[in-house]
Amino acid sequence: MEYRIREHPILGEIEETKKVRFTYDGKTMEGREGEPVAMALKAAGVQIHRYTRKKHEPRGIFCAIGRCTDCVMVVDGVPNVRTCVTPLKEGMRVETQYGISARPPEKEGK
Amino acid sequence: MKRYDVIVIGAGPAGLSAAVQAAEQGMSVIVFDENEKPGGQLFKQIHKFFGSKEHKAKVRGFRIGQQLLEEAGRAGVEVKLNAVVTGLYMEKEVVVKIGGAMEHFKGDSVIVATGAAEKMVHFEGWTLPGVIGAGAAQTMMNLHGIRPGRKVLMLGTGNVGLVVSYQLLQAGCEVTALADAAPTVGGYGVHAAKVARTGVPFYLSHTIVKAEGTDHVTGVTIARVDENFAFVPGTEKHFDVDTICLAVGLSPMAQLLKMAGCVMDERAGHDGTTPLCDENGATSVPGIYAVGDVSGIEEASSAMIEGRIAGLAAAAYLGFMDEKKCREAISCQKKALMSLRRGMFAPQNKGRKLMTTEEGIPLSEHLLKEGYVGDEEIGRFPGVRRSVGIHPVMECTQNIPCNPCQDACPHHCIRVGDDITALPQVDDTKKCVGCGLCVASCSGQAVFLLEENYAPGFAAVTIPYEFLPLPEKGEKGTGLGRRGEPLCEAEVVQVKTSGAFDKTNLVTLKIPGDMAMRVRFYRKEV
Repeated sequence: MEYRIREHPILGEIEETKKVRFTYDGKTMEGREGEPVAMALKAAGVQIHRYTRKKHEPRGIFCAIGRCTDCVMVVDGVPNVRTCVTPLKEGMRVETQYGISARPPEKEGK
Repeated sequence: MKRYDVIVIGAGPAGLSAAVQAAEQGMSVIVFDENEKPGGQLFKQIHKFFGSKEHKAKVRGFRIGQQLLEEAGRAGVEVKLNAVVTGLYMEKEVVVKIGGAMEHFKGDSVIVATGAAEKMVHFEGWTLPGVIGAGAAQTMMNLHGIRPGRKVLMLGTGNVGLVVSYQLLQAGCEVTALADAAPTVGGYGVHAAKVARTGVPFYLSHTIVKAEGTDHVTGVTIARVDENFAFVPGTEKHFDVDTICLAVGLSPMAQLLKMAGCVMDERAGHDGTTPLCDENGATSVPGIYAVGDVSGIEEASSAMIEGRIAGLAAAAYLGFMDEKKCREAISCQKKALMSLRRGMFAPQNKGRKLMTTEEGIPLSEHLLKEGYVGDEEIGRFPGVRRSVGIHPVMECTQNIPCNPCQDACPHHCIRVGDDITALPQVDDTKKCVGCGLCVASCSGQAVFLLEENYAPGFAAVTIPYEFLPLPEKGEKGTGLGRRGEPLCEAEVVQVKTSGAFDKTNLVTLKIPGDMAMRVRFYRKEV
């Protein structure tokens, strides 16, 4: 199954907005301009947005409306960005967040 | 500091309605909303609304949203988006984060329409990616065109759980099952029935034991609970799913009201999460009003009326409207609001176990426990009649405030009457011509057309169909019963689509005569 809906019985054909490229942990990916970063990631099959600081547990989309902050990632170098309400732009750099950093703890030399 | 006659917080159905009403009285109005787009949750509501004409019944939620935005535009309402209200202080000073700056505004009145947030339940694995709110699923598929998952388990059978399950099916996802810790389905029976007839099983008195998976959800285990909501050992059931949707209620977002010092409602029967309001939405702080879900969880239809009432009340409070004129306008709105707050699901019936309809007919047990009306139960409801020739069969078995079917029939075959919650009746003296307008008008998809003597040994049933691909005339598939069970071969003999049906297609199936009262859905594969 593809994540993107092409045609919907009520909403009709889903309008295809402009494609843009962004990077996810260094890998180039494609999404639609202006859609939430989290949706572009979901369409590409990415589910894990971050790992918690203490227990290193994965977190992903939960509320999708900017309330719960579960989906925060490091976007263009800035941590704690709510990807479900952040519009995707060409060339965005999106990184998995570990605690509040884009680097996994073991790489921080702990 | 900029001053407005009314500052509205939240551009959802309640807030926008309040703003329109206030602006129409000549007040200067600004609406702040933290989102990128206005409309609140309305644009995710792709189903047809219930109620009566005055409540925009049988209109899909997102279209009501579009109408509301146009109205706001015409009324000259200023909507400021990406504007997070962070404080509501003494003398109605409103602090708003716009871009990187904090800006201050003063409202001579403030209408708080901040809505509600989804509630949560905790179980092993509840934080795994793939466990999402039902609202999140709705946002993903209906706003952004993204399927939340392949196989979904829905927890919660209130209207949100039922409606979102149906929408998941419409989006092309598989709904593996619905579960609810409560012993009976919480939402409208008609919403449950349209999910059940596609073959989705309901597990009442069941809840989630654990979400399985290490990086993301790969499965779920549910189990039966006893009357104290404790798991019954040995009743565990496992399902392979990649998504778990939680629809376990909403919680008012009343933080700003508390900040402003509004007294919360701690009276018996209230849990202190909503403000104490008079019947116009006025809180204990003069000039501050609360409308929509923040003042008590209800449907968008009631939220819009509450907004209008508060807009009028604010106009009178600030002298923009004559007291008497305001009272008249409000009483008109209240009449509309009261008609929505009637029937089995009315706020005053919350928690009460009803055994019969208002007409004294025993309620369907299957509907409450499994999501569908049993074959042996359906005959006792007044809209279900058998007669010669084509005629409507109204499988509407609960008293809910809704009557578009009555208005839809050009030949007056269907009667709900003045009591909007009454079960519809079919008038045999009026001639049904089989136009199907009643089938398409029913927001609960509970109306079917039946022609018992379609051909020797065969009946024809017309069902509402809102899925893709649309069946084609001449194709053969399986006729399914009310719980989605395969019953017989069904041949598609007619497919009708029309602008007037608003995407509810009418599919007519030729089925064996003895299946006339049983087949209510269709699947292509035999």
